[in-house]
Amino acid sequence: MLELHRPFPDRAPTRGAGRYLGWVAARQPALLAACVGFGIVNALTQAIAPYILGRAIDDGLGHGFGPELWTWCGVLLGVWVIRAANGAISHRADVAAWLRACLGTVGLLDRTVTRSGESLRRTVPTGEVLATVASDAPRIAEVYAFAGRFVGSLVAYVVVAAILMSSSVPLGVAVLLGIPLVAGLLALVVRPLQKRQAEHREQNGRLTTLGSDTVAGLRVLRGIGGEDVFTARYAQQSQRVREAGVRVAGTQSILDSLQTLLPGLFLAGVIWYGARLAVAGEIQPGELVAFYGYAAYLTNPLSSATQGVSILTRARIAVARVQRVLVVTPRTSDEGTTDRPLPRRGDLVDPASGLAVAPGTFVALVSADPDASAEVATRLGRFDDSDPAPSPTLGGVRLREVPLSRVRERVVVSEATPTLFTGVLAEELDVRATGAPDLDRVAAALAVADAGDVLDSVPDGLAGRLEEKGRSLSGGQRQRVALARALLTEADVLVLVEPTSAVDAHTEERIAASLHQAREGRTTVVVTASPLVLDKADEVVLLDGPRVRARGTHHSLMHDAERAARGDLTGEPAAAAVAYRRIVNRSVDDSPAETPGNRDGATEPDPAMAGETR
Amino acid sequence: MSTTLPVADAAQLRTQSAALMRRHLRGFVGMAALQAAAACAGLAGPFLLGRIIDGVVAGSPVSALDQAVAILVVAVVAQSVTVRYAQRASMVLGERVFAELREQFIETVTSLPLSTVEKAGTGDLVSRTTNDVDRVQHTIRFGIPRVLVAVSTIALTVVATVLVSWVTALALLTALPLLIGAVRWYLRRATPRYLEESAAWAAMNGTFTESVEGARTVEALALAARRRARGEADIDRIVEKESRTLTLRQVLFPAVDMAFGIPSVVVLLWGGWLASQGHVTIGAVTTVALYTVQLMGPVWELIFWVDEIQVATVSLARIFGVSDVAPDRTATDEEPQDEHMVARDVEYAYREGVPVLHGIDLDLAIGERLAIVGPSGAGKSTFGRMLAGVHPPTAGRVTVGGVPLVHLPLEDLRGHVALVTQEHHVFVGTVADNLRLARAQATEREMDEALLAVDALGWVRDLPEGLETGVGSGGHELTPAQAQQIALARLVLLDPHTLVLDEATSLIDPRQARDLESSLAGVLEGRTVVAIAHRLYTAHDADRVAVVDGGRITEIGSHHELVAAGGAYARLWHSWQSE
Repeated sequence: MLELHRPFPDRAPTRGAGRYLGWVAARQPALLAACVGFGIVNALTQAIAPYILGRAIDDGLGHGFGPELWTWCGVLLGVWVIRAANGAISHRADVAAWLRACLGTVGLLDRTVTRSGESLRRTVPTGEVLATVASDAPRIAEVYAFAGRFVGSLVAYVVVAAILMSSSVPLGVAVLLGIPLVAGLLALVVRPLQKRQAEHREQNGRLTTLGSDTVAGLRVLRGIGGEDVFTARYAQQSQRVREAGVRVAGTQSILDSLQTLLPGLFLAGVIWYGARLAVAGEIQPGELVAFYGYAAYLTNPLSSATQGVSILTRARIAVARVQRVLVVTPRTSDEGTTDRPLPRRGDLVDPASGLAVAPGTFVALVSADPDASAEVATRLGRFDDSDPAPSPTLGGVRLREVPLSRVRERVVVSEATPTLFTGVLAEELDVRATGAPDLDRVAAALAVADAGDVLDSVPDGLAGRLEEKGRSLSGGQRQRVALARALLTEADVLVLVEPTSAVDAHTEERIAASLHQAREGRTTVVVTASPLVLDKADEVVLLDGPRVRARGTHHSLMHDAERAARGDLTGEPAAAAVAYRRIVNRSVDDSPAETPGNRDGATEPDPAMAGETR
Repeated sequence: MSTTLPVADAAQLRTQSAALMRRHLRGFVGMAALQAAAACAGLAGPFLLGRIIDGVVAGSPVSALDQAVAILVVAVVAQSVTVRYAQRASMVLGERVFAELREQFIETVTSLPLSTVEKAGTGDLVSRTTNDVDRVQHTIRFGIPRVLVAVSTIALTVVATVLVSWVTALALLTALPLLIGAVRWYLRRATPRYLEESAAWAAMNGTFTESVEGARTVEALALAARRRARGEADIDRIVEKESRTLTLRQVLFPAVDMAFGIPSVVVLLWGGWLASQGHVTIGAVTTVALYTVQLMGPVWELIFWVDEIQVATVSLARIFGVSDVAPDRTATDEEPQDEHMVARDVEYAYREGVPVLHGIDLDLAIGERLAIVGPSGAGKSTFGRMLAGVHPPTAGRVTVGGVPLVHLPLEDLRGHVALVTQEHHVFVGTVADNLRLARAQATEREMDEALLAVDALGWVRDLPEGLETGVGSGGHELTPAQAQQIALARLVLLDPHTLVLDEATSLIDPRQARDLESSLAGVLEGRTVVAIAHRLYTAHDADRVAVVDGGRITEIGSHHELVAAGGAYARLWHSWQSE
């Protein structure tokens, strides 16, 4: 019953903070009941201690060192043992309640995120999504961790009031009314304190941003100077945080002071009244000690009550943020798909652009506007079912008709800036492996992507760890690793968008040669403008705007362009070939015109051909 | 290729912490005195209650009891007032000490040697600036004052107990074996387990962050199931680690409870016997019994904070560690004769015995355009950094006007040669803030001119508040190309005579790269340029091309000379021009 984690089922309420909190509670009723039960026992053992002490003084000490004293000491020891044992188990229950609610919510969020893909990034800012796991889920969970203590305190409050009432009605009434009154007075200070704390947090957040921003840009900063400007800015904000902190200190110390003063005066009042009763013989001295104990103990339910309210308030805000994420639905769904199989081989056709790729060929897609060719690639991967353009077909079957998992199995689109994930390099490369990755296959794919040098950059090579987002690799290395990963999927149709944009010409040439060979017999579409890759393609397709304008081989189109330049070829084929040549070779042709003064030959106008740094 | 930054050892940690304490000695003493006064006033309750009990037993008049209550009221008021000032002083001091610590840290970080910054990467530093500073902040702002309060309360309570009745107080000793045993057992195990626990949470957060930021890749490669499995594995790890720390607390909590339960009972038994023998009064026993219970709060607080402080110490060592990086350049007062840059026999090794560069010689003509080409890993970027004076070479030297670059003060170096890499970063602040990094006193007109030179004046003027528009994290978002234009405009303001371009635009989306072409032209105007390039038309148009392979310049000459020579460059050029 006290296990620390139980995943939540999907379909949590996505509307209404109260409904979500209730739903989470309903997932673990037994545990929460246990928390409350332990909490009550815990509160009672504390609340009853003054009573026992009082009886030990009156019945025990008052009657000398004898059996009465021993009895009460035994009772007291028993209560301590119960308290200690119950404390240990109740702590476990509270932690379990917290973890289950927190990790259950995290699990829900994680499943939503992995399911919803891009659509989440378009609806909720990334920072807010990340905050749901980092801070909202733990805040929601606090409600359940605190439930036991909260209820226990309330019960103890009533019990203590009842005990006092039985000794002295006025004292009982004073406690029943006095405690809520003190709580109310303290709440008056809590509000301005929270405001100042919020301001302090905000200023501190700015400072942290400034600090991490400075450090993130440190290489740039150190290259051009401006460190003094930055440290001065940081110091200025740091002082602002300090001043906000001093303002918090002012209010906080008043609250601390009131938390001493109000219960202290209440205590003095109880003693004053109790002492008179004791002198009058209406109560025993021990009972007076018990009164003192109760009055001192009652600060516990007091702080529990105020804490409970603020925990609940924060949790409701956190739930609203979590629900914003949970409600997001993916842009693709299997609704309306049939169980029709997707053929392994067949023409790949995109009706919107007029692109048709014969099975097993290596086709390059060239466009003056890289957005247009990227759009075709996106369509081939079926990322958005709401796209009004007609669905591409594979072997005559519309991709949108087939369950998504089947499409993903057959067609893989690797985009220009794919993300690398943390983990063991071999596993992160061979993402389709069901068991341990086949290291020979992985090494072969790395060889095709000319990424063998990565093994030297990652300690322990294939068995080593790839750091967050592949941070320890250079831009070009990351791109080649991502290419190897895409190759390892061995998809029947592989679409690669600018796979070599950050790779130097030497390397690009080698990749282009081995890529074609490695994909022999399977369909490959590469979006690129690099002559080194185009030269190796079976067919080159030129897009003009959203539509296919010309097709041929790199060689034939370049040849046509030359003929057109000599006037041997005219009409649309000539115009298309010239356009093609301009895209592919534009910089060599155009550089005198594009770079004024002709002194600027060393400019680097086309990053599509760019390389990498160590 | 990231190397870890140093972490302070125990001795350095002690020295630096002690120095920090000494600078705020008066504050610490004042705070401790105030907290002690507050703790003293807090002892009045049980003491006066004991007196009242004795009074009741002895049949004192009501007026005597009223007097005791009046003293209690005065004590409560006095305690409230001292608590107010003590707490305020503690928090204000915490703020001051922590502000000093973090400002010092950032100052150290921003003056780290160029070579260290280049080598270490930013990941470790960012985590020190955010996670470690945050972790220490909690301890300094709240922990140290609370520890002082707890310690003085415990000490004063014990003293009060002894004063009330030292014989009865002996019973308190029965708490010690269990308390000391349990706490030592706990503290010895706590730090590593809590660090593991927070690492498990960080790992889960990291996985989630990657899933969110890489949503597109997750979708395209159908990685959802994999990512989910990873997330679940992370959650299982958290449960395992949480369970380990929970086990620790499940031993500690009941042990400390009983460490107080036992003396509570023993005080009564022992005090009962003493009272029956007439050695002490019932009131004194009562007072000691109440003090025993009152000790529980501060002892718990102390255990909690010692634990936290142990964890914070690990972070503090990482913060102090940064100041251990030795400077990598020594400025002399040599003055360069001219703007002529020469590299002689330049060697460099990242790891000893594994040189990356093997004696490179290069003589740059003033105003020349040199393109460096070669396969990745050939040492091009490393050589570029030597030329820009970022790294001192392991052997050989790079000079400007006869003076080694590493002998120039940093401010002067930047006026001679600047390195432009593919990395661009928009700093939080206004566009003007971002530009003034290069020249703090730049006027609006100078900034406009710099922006004009890189073709960026148009869009900057169109921003909501022009130069004063807030950019960077949380501000107006700039495209990578715009960010790079800002970086180029900074170079115009910095105005070095030589530029080393290391693939300055290679990570920019091809779709935006066109905008940058003329921007770069504006910056290069009238300067000596070394361009590390992979695009062969760059080489085609340069005055000279140097082919670097295996840490050596294997070919050097104009494009036409190299093509005519028929070497590696010529082969590549032909395959590229394969029409």
